[in-house]
Amino acid sequence: MQEALLSISISADYSGKPGVLRDLRLEMAPGEILGLVGESGSGKSTLALSILRLLDLKGGKTSGSVRLNGRELMELSEAEMRAIRGRDIGLVLQSPMSSLNPALKIGTQMHEAWRAHRPGSRKECTPRFLDLLRSLNLDVDEKFLKRKPAQLSVGQAQRVLIAIAVLHKPPLLLADECTSALDLITQKEVLNIFRQLSQEMGTGILFISHDLLAVSSLCHRIAILRHGELVEVGPTHEILSRPVHPYTRELVSALPVLNALTIDSSI
Amino acid sequence: MIRLAHAIYGLLVFLLALPLWSQSGGELHFTIKSDPKTTNPLLVEDDSSEIVRYLTGGVLIRVNRKTQENQPELATSWKVTENGRRITFKLRQGIQFSDGSPFTSDDVVATITALMDPKLHSSTGDAFRAGSGKVLAQTQGKYAATVLFPQPIAGLERLFDQVAISPARMAGKADASTVLGPFMVTEQKAGEYVLLRRNPHYWKKDSAGHALPYLDAVRLYIMQNRDTELLRFRRGDIDVINNLSPDLYEQLHAQDASAARDLGPSAESEELWFNQVARSPLPEYKKAWFRSENFRRAISMSINRADLARVAFRGHATPSVGLLSPANKFWFDQSLKPQGYDPKGALELLQQDGFHKDGEVLKDKAGNAVVFSLITNSGNKPRERMGSLMQQDLAQIGIKLNFVPLDFPSIIERITRTFDYEACMLGLTNVDLDPDGQMNVWLSSSDLHQWNPAQKTPETPWEKNIDKLMHAQASTLDRNKRRAEFDKVQEIVAAENPMLYLVDKNALVAVSSRVKGADPVVLTPQTFWNVEYLSLNRN
Amino acid sequence: MKRVRWIAIGLLGLVFLGALGASFIAPASYEKQFREDPDHPPSRQYPLGTDDLGRDRLSRLLYGMRISLLLAPAAALIATLLAAIIGGAGAYAGGMWDQFTRAFIDLFLSLPWLFLLLTVRAVLPLNIPAVASVAITFVLLGTLGWAASARVVSAAVREMRNSEFVLQARAAGCGRWRLLFAHVLPNVRPILLAQFWISVPLFILTEANLGMLGLGVTEPLPSWGNLLRELENYSAFASSPWLWAPLVSLFVVVSLFQFALGEGEYA
Repeated sequence: MQEALLSISISADYSGKPGVLRDLRLEMAPGEILGLVGESGSGKSTLALSILRLLDLKGGKTSGSVRLNGRELMELSEAEMRAIRGRDIGLVLQSPMSSLNPALKIGTQMHEAWRAHRPGSRKECTPRFLDLLRSLNLDVDEKFLKRKPAQLSVGQAQRVLIAIAVLHKPPLLLADECTSALDLITQKEVLNIFRQLSQEMGTGILFISHDLLAVSSLCHRIAILRHGELVEVGPTHEILSRPVHPYTRELVSALPVLNALTIDSSI
Repeated sequence: MIRLAHAIYGLLVFLLALPLWSQSGGELHFTIKSDPKTTNPLLVEDDSSEIVRYLTGGVLIRVNRKTQENQPELATSWKVTENGRRITFKLRQGIQFSDGSPFTSDDVVATITALMDPKLHSSTGDAFRAGSGKVLAQTQGKYAATVLFPQPIAGLERLFDQVAISPARMAGKADASTVLGPFMVTEQKAGEYVLLRRNPHYWKKDSAGHALPYLDAVRLYIMQNRDTELLRFRRGDIDVINNLSPDLYEQLHAQDASAARDLGPSAESEELWFNQVARSPLPEYKKAWFRSENFRRAISMSINRADLARVAFRGHATPSVGLLSPANKFWFDQSLKPQGYDPKGALELLQQDGFHKDGEVLKDKAGNAVVFSLITNSGNKPRERMGSLMQQDLAQIGIKLNFVPLDFPSIIERITRTFDYEACMLGLTNVDLDPDGQMNVWLSSSDLHQWNPAQKTPETPWEKNIDKLMHAQASTLDRNKRRAEFDKVQEIVAAENPMLYLVDKNALVAVSSRVKGADPVVLTPQTFWNVEYLSLNRN
Repeated sequence: MKRVRWIAIGLLGLVFLGALGASFIAPASYEKQFREDPDHPPSRQYPLGTDDLGRDRLSRLLYGMRISLLLAPAAALIATLLAAIIGGAGAYAGGMWDQFTRAFIDLFLSLPWLFLLLTVRAVLPLNIPAVASVAITFVLLGTLGWAASARVVSAAVREMRNSEFVLQARAAGCGRWRLLFAHVLPNVRPILLAQFWISVPLFILTEANLGMLGLGVTEPLPSWGNLLRELENYSAFASSPWLWAPLVSLFVVVSLFQFALGEGEYA
């Protein structure tokens, strides 16, 4: 394995609910897609927020170490951390509709994300943003930027959200349940986009999902999370074909058409 | 055939019922503003309790609300002796309380003894307390009683109009269920009604010898909202209304002219006075205005009272002549002339005090513009209209009047404690026709001497004069001599204008055409003062 | 729908001109008592009839609008700004601050204001120029009338603080202040506008009630509020429809404002 892109070793607690993550250790290589699978309530989303040090928004606390390209994030000041968010780490959330600000036009939201890290006018970022959207199979012109989120389809909204998340070409993208709200066709398209991002831009993706089916079609490696602890980590085909932990076995056996999918992922 | 039989049967029932109808007059309905606070006739203080007392209480002497004379009731005659200290009653014989028990002098003595017991704290009793010392009530056989007071009381007889006699066994803790009056309280539902039924043992009979009262019952609905009251009157749920406001009267008159009755000036008047308190926080030059007789008279002359009556009260008031309304038949001073509207004369009078017009603005000798404020309680429409009218009247002689309606507690605070006001307008109700009832207003030492209360010694010669006359009338027995003395008081007040009497409100009532025997009068309780003789004709 | 907006603005302009030019248009002075004609029905001399003192109703309406139209929106602006600052900032800061402002708002709402107003009246001299009384009244309305709106604003901001789009914006590297102004405020704006429009007629009416305490617009000055208060005598106006004029004009003016200034959605 090359030098780690992300290397974490953290615990997380909420007031009144301790031990949501218990000494969770995980490493990711650059450009790697790591699937994090677990049932709801296992601490998956907590992990994403812990990495961004935004868990306080939900009233939680993170301790331990988060290293990004060897840099310890837990020791950074809030201002330094702000500079990391969006530029070095992108985040895509589950529900595209509620993740976009309903009061702002798409163009404004894009520009807000842009000006957080780079000075400069809207003119500079617009072509780049439109290029991004085009590469995400959303061929639109500048008029599109005048729309408000309510005027978008779910698939369009998810693409906009991803485009904003990768606007600054972050080496790491956290995707938290970002396909579970989508219909099957859109879901498949979004998975292709992630694959493409990883291949073309070398983005490392932490793909968080409860859906082992989607994860196994996309990810290089899979980590299984249960009750705040990692129970098993390994390359996708190993996890699928030779699960060790009883919980993993249970998960794998619940997959309906395992063979078809393994073939698909190898293409 | 069957139909004919029905008709005959119906006619028969009708004919049988007819004599009953003429005797029993149904259930009369009207409203009171709140639940009566007490049914003990000796503890009455609020209006609702007073109404219940009037309907249920048997009294020794009644002030006839129409003739305004004292009339015998439970006492067939009486005599005042010992220079006004003693009153002796001859009692009506052979009559019974509503429970059938006999009425004797024991009941009278027990009631009066209870009334005068300091421990009872009866405000009705306070009217009899002219000085310190004990009041002694004694029987003189079964049907006579005598009461001896430590000091003479002017116009003593009229006070017994307020004293309902209860059985001796209930003295001091009586209620309105065992009574000598025409009705007795039989049911009370808090917040809804008080039901009074006819007293089957009531002693009075009509001229034809029929037992009174005609009515079977009286139901008093508890209702505050006067719009609703009128609405229910129009629907026929309520038979009479006392004290209508001019606005509601006009409304009723437009819909049913025969039911609305304007009885002419009542004993309720509206007046304003200037603050003459020496220690008030007003600037000295203003105190000087308000203490000037000419200034007060000039203001009085520049108020167009006819307009106040016509516009503010929609014609249902009468310009005041003086401190009494002509409704007070015996005591009103016939020689008084009404104050005419004369702004020019007012200006001339003011010039005598060194006031002068500077352009449109009136200024005093020192050059202060004449501006003053008039406070009154908010929410009284005619009064608020009067304020606006006087504002324009005074503007014509260059005076700026700031009219400030305030909440009632603030008014009381200002006129009784802080004296932080310049002029105040309020209404006064003369419940008591006798001037003795006004002692507390006219004596300069009194707390209710509004324009300058609780003076240690009279601050002006005319106030000293009034003090003397009021004391004189109180210690005189002869009614005509008393009247002469009180006439002088009325003339001094008209000359000095400590109070500017504005209008006497007309008594406005509503009487449904169903009510037979109605003869409304200006004195309370206007429409049902003769309740024994009322009956209803319901269709 | 742009046209509706322009028509509304045009009509409003006319209303304002009418109110400002009251002294030219009004058939009579607002205080002149035609004592021979109290409660006169509409006629050529009195287009809207006269009031109970014989004052021309149309003139009083025009002058009353001038006072109320100028001052009620000013008071509503003060109240809404206070609501935005106190309610919004408290909820946005979160945690202890949020609890503190919430308690403060509740306390403010539960205080017996009647006593404060009585005290104000007791402290003010009785001879106070009409202009000063009017100004004091509306400053009082503005500074006392914010709490109910603040509660609404604070609830909205609190909800927004936990929303996904705020999390998303934070994750994109947006700073706290930038987040407040660029993301939260645009969402609160419609609420503030609504609160503003609720406050205007409310203050116009409250002003009339202050008259009961010796505050407010004093006789003989007319205000919209005290003209409306005359309508309390409800039985009279079925037979005299012209008495509705103050109510109808208030309704029309408030709706015109809404059309003219409303959110893009309506216009």
